[in-house]
Amino acid sequence: MAGLVEGKVAIVTGAGRGIGQGIAKLMAQEGASVVVVDPGVNVDGSGGDTSIAEQVASEIRDSGGSAAACTESVVSMEGGEKIVQTAVDSFGKLDIVVTVAGILRDRMVFNMTEQEWDDVIAVHLKGTFTVVKHACILFRQQRSGSIVTFSSTSGLYGNSGQANYGAAKDGIAGFTRVVARDMGRYGVTANAISPSAATRMTVSVPDEARDLRAQRGIGSGGGTVEAIRGEPEDIAPFAVWLGSDQAKHVNGHIFHVAEGLVTLLNEPEPVKTIHKEGRWTVEELVRVVPATLGFEIYNPAPAPPPTTT
Amino acid sequence: MSDILQGKVAIVTGAGRGVGRGVARLMAQEGASVVVVDPGVNVDGSGFDASFAEQVASEIRNEGGTAVACTESVATMEGGEKIIQSAIDSFGKLDIVVTCAGILRDRMIFNMTEQEWDDVISVHLKGTFTVVKHACILFRQQRSGRIVTFSSQSGLVGNSGQANYGAAKSGIAGFTKVVARDMGRYGITANSIAPRAATRMIGAIPESANEIRARGGVSGLSEEGELEQLDPDDIAPFVAYLASDYASNINGQTFLVWGGEVSLMSQPRPERSIYNPDGHWPTEELAPLAAGYLTKDIPNPAPAQPSR
Repeated sequence: MAGLVEGKVAIVTGAGRGIGQGIAKLMAQEGASVVVVDPGVNVDGSGGDTSIAEQVASEIRDSGGSAAACTESVVSMEGGEKIVQTAVDSFGKLDIVVTVAGILRDRMVFNMTEQEWDDVIAVHLKGTFTVVKHACILFRQQRSGSIVTFSSTSGLYGNSGQANYGAAKDGIAGFTRVVARDMGRYGVTANAISPSAATRMTVSVPDEARDLRAQRGIGSGGGTVEAIRGEPEDIAPFAVWLGSDQAKHVNGHIFHVAEGLVTLLNEPEPVKTIHKEGRWTVEELVRVVPATLGFEIYNPAPAPPPTTT
Repeated sequence: MSDILQGKVAIVTGAGRGVGRGVARLMAQEGASVVVVDPGVNVDGSGFDASFAEQVASEIRNEGGTAVACTESVATMEGGEKIIQSAIDSFGKLDIVVTCAGILRDRMIFNMTEQEWDDVISVHLKGTFTVVKHACILFRQQRSGRIVTFSSQSGLVGNSGQANYGAAKSGIAGFTKVVARDMGRYGITANSIAPRAATRMIGAIPESANEIRARGGVSGLSEEGELEQLDPDDIAPFVAYLASDYASNINGQTFLVWGGEVSLMSQPRPERSIYNPDGHWPTEELAPLAAGYLTKDIPNPAPAQPSR
């Protein structure tokens, strides 16, 4: 039986471990030739172990699949271009790009350093751009292609201690919506997955942030994000499906995937509106908002009542 | 005028023109002392003109308000820190931060250069971080403060030709939600505004993007004619309200604001789901449900066009 992505060529960034590895392997099982991209850095972006990508590629080949390893970093334009070139050099074409590469540097916003900000934005957000941009040059010419990016509930809902990661991940969601609109007319699709899975990235959330959250009873996602469970491999089936021809009609959407649950998230839309002819005055807003827009509005982190001494 | 911000000190970035200028002036009218931040760059981020910030500060002072000009750039950590310091040096404290500073470099994704990407991300996204981070150090100590950031419909919904801007603006929305959670416990609120208004930024959308949009039958988010009617000063009242003591319970939200309309935007919520209690989907079981239910008749914002 032909696989879901039989004969296709897929790039998977961050494929050395975790979710990316699961996707690379399933892509191969489903018939794709896979470029396994991973410079093998630590969760904080330091170091580099070039054997990680090769190991996954070997495992795929040992199971009868087709794979090439690539240790280029996604953070530079040159890296993005070389990654796309690797697919063309190794397999003669490119059909699917899945951008999983990411790092974590959690810190409360008032303590977050420039380096912690820059590194996380560079790998996630620019690292998605560098690969997708170069893929889009090809995809536009061939008038086909599938792009699957990785967002996160941290960006979609907000997760304390992750100003950099939340910005990057919600940024990827916005980026993907625009790419869907830039490329849709050429028969290309771009969608984002917001995964929940226990990987080394979730293990690295610093205890400080976790403890603070727990102490203050602050949930991570407005009650919508449950404790992290599930295997990283659980994300792969839907990611592979999005890369397949069966998903050619799916463009510009965000899906939450956790264990056996796959959810289509809604487009941001107005839930309550106030309107008047002409410009509001602040005085009017003070009168009108509490009973309308502000009525029973959810506060994700209310201030504790003042302590009396 | 209700003097709703009497005695407050506010920083407004990008206050030399457009939406930021309207916010700075209204806040001053409502009694706040305002740091008018603007290095006076062109819409594409090039150049420098100190007179824009000074002019708005003068206008405010001429109307009996209190304001100082600041021409630091938000794109560096040092700039962000100096902007905060400017509030302290001039007015002795800081209560409100509004981050409007932004530039545009529109281009279709396949043609977008590294510079176009970096510059836009740097001013919008990092430029929001540099100011908000340094404000949060103060806000946490004083256990009060208001943060209002600027997102965009382009990020929330997607606007062709704006991969950089959409990423930055959506990133600001995510950043703001995290800041709301980091800072809420200290009595601080952080919310973002997605404005629609006719400013020089809208005018800078390159012809090519507009033309391609029209040719491809892909509509932008706003009908150009309608947008021209929208006055950037219409955004200011709701920003002033969010910055006031009256809005202490509003935190972590995004509001769409234009003309006489203010909307609370939804948080992402499930629209349709498929579930396998075994945890892991075999692909052959997932595929028919994904196609036949989860994504059936799903809207495509830019359907494939026949090759010309």
